[in-house]
Amino acid sequence: MSSVLRLAMRAKGFSRFLAETQAFPVKNRHFMTSSVRKTGDFEYEDPKSEDEVVNITYVLRDGTERKIRGKVGDNVMFLAHRYDIEMEGACEASLACSTCHVYVDPAFQNKLPEPLEEEDDMLDMAPALKDNSRLGCQIVLTKELDGITVTLPTMTRNFYVDGHVPKPH
Amino acid sequence: MASKIEPGSPQPIYLDVQATAPMDPRVVDAMLPYMINDFGNPHSRTHSYGWKAEEGVEQAREHVANLIKADPRDIIFTSGATESNNLAIKGVAKFRKQSGKNHIITLQTEHKCVLDSCRYLENEGFKVTYLPVDKGGMVDMEQLTQSITAETCLVSIMFVNNEIGVMQPIKQIGELCRSKGVYFHTDAAQATGKVPIDVNEMKIDLMSISAHKIYGPKGAGALYVRRRPRVRIEAQMSGGGQERGLRSGTVAAPLCIGLGEAAKIADKEMAMDKAHVERLSQMLINGISDKLPHIIRNGDARHAYPGCVNLSFAYVEGESLLMALKSIALSSGSACTSASLEPSYVLRAIGSEEDLAHSSIRFGLGRFTTDEEVKHTIDLCIRETNRLRDLSPLWEMVQEGIDLKSIQWTQH
Repeated sequence: MSSVLRLAMRAKGFSRFLAETQAFPVKNRHFMTSSVRKTGDFEYEDPKSEDEVVNITYVLRDGTERKIRGKVGDNVMFLAHRYDIEMEGACEASLACSTCHVYVDPAFQNKLPEPLEEEDDMLDMAPALKDNSRLGCQIVLTKELDGITVTLPTMTRNFYVDGHVPKPH
Repeated sequence: MASKIEPGSPQPIYLDVQATAPMDPRVVDAMLPYMINDFGNPHSRTHSYGWKAEEGVEQAREHVANLIKADPRDIIFTSGATESNNLAIKGVAKFRKQSGKNHIITLQTEHKCVLDSCRYLENEGFKVTYLPVDKGGMVDMEQLTQSITAETCLVSIMFVNNEIGVMQPIKQIGELCRSKGVYFHTDAAQATGKVPIDVNEMKIDLMSISAHKIYGPKGAGALYVRRRPRVRIEAQMSGGGQERGLRSGTVAAPLCIGLGEAAKIADKEMAMDKAHVERLSQMLINGISDKLPHIIRNGDARHAYPGCVNLSFAYVEGESLLMALKSIALSSGSACTSASLEPSYVLRAIGSEEDLAHSSIRFGLGRFTTDEEVKHTIDLCIRETNRLRDLSPLWEMVQEGIDLKSIQWTQH
């Protein structure tokens, strides 16, 4: 149940309590709730036409390649989550960690917008940083990025020595 | 006028502020609460002990930033200028190597930790150019320009030399490096808080700072790392990712707060300190050279920080003079290399003859140096130099008009 809905029900119950105790008359309040869409849901939709297809290759930590058919507007991190690619994203794209750190194919580096200062600050925290390091959660696919390759670093800040792999929340 | 200070008093006069400066009592006052009541770990986020310590550290970061006209987020706390220099030089070199940049430029007169960091990188396959300096200790800008190649990743040139006090043309160097797309690091341990610094105007990318050189505690320092345009360096210490991930480890809150307070005081009192030190410096130089012949000031006096006066007393062995001046704490070179019997590499680099290099003494004047102390030093220098020269056969020959360079000395 969404937190908005829960809040609405709690408010309804409270107004009923006030009415019953007759502290003062309360009119019924009507809450409108729209269908809740989770961040990252967009990436779970397939491209509607070939025009919006953006091909992306993820190079995994063991060196194997995963070729994915993404679409314009897809977030590189959430797209990775859809296809069970090991990109944690602990902060869920709120620019508060560096666990979606990737290396961008140098040929595509200049096709990406300049990183925000906050992204640079988070990249400072990433181990094995390189000139072509970016946060996956800040890369949104465009037609210009068709054929891009992103490589996962050997480790992130949240690595475990016992082999445990953190899952996206 | 003769000094009122009696020689042989238990505590020698302190004239070695380039080695370390005494702590300002106001700095001690600022530090004490964080050693007693507010002892929390500044990285503890769940209780007021941590918050209080963090607040103190962040305020200190602001004071250091204000002193050099930087953004507080550009300041990384370290254990001192040696660590800052290592982090800057090795950090830039290792990060830039991946993009084919493997050349570093520095001066032959840099501090030992800069030269040793460069030598370490040479063993790792980097190319290092050690530029010579002129007779005054200044870098040749033309030579520096020609030394920069497409592979150059870093130029590291100190702001004020710790042995001869020479100030390099930092603004010019910064502009040159920025125009060539090369990072510029300066070791400003001897300059911070003593001369005005504006990292943006001077186009400095990385800058090393030491607390105990500016009347703060030993064991604390800072590295300025520019964030816009972003300077990337590889951390040299792995761990919890403190200090922007560039310097892991719990920040020593009391020490950093001491550095912050020292920076705040220096910022406020810089003009006053400068006037005081300049006056004492003139008094010392004139007082000695007016009464003693054959006194040579090492380093270009026009571009020197007045608080560092390096004099060669010709025909006197420097170590003998130091022992004769035991009621004054002085140095015959850098504290880092003073165990060596070799003459100072800085004096060699400026072309000082070996006998003159061996007869050099560094006088360090600072905020707490008094007129009385300088007068006593002048009197004692004159008296002891004359005494030692009277014992010297070389001095006798010079008095007789013999040119010592013309003599063929035989080996035993």
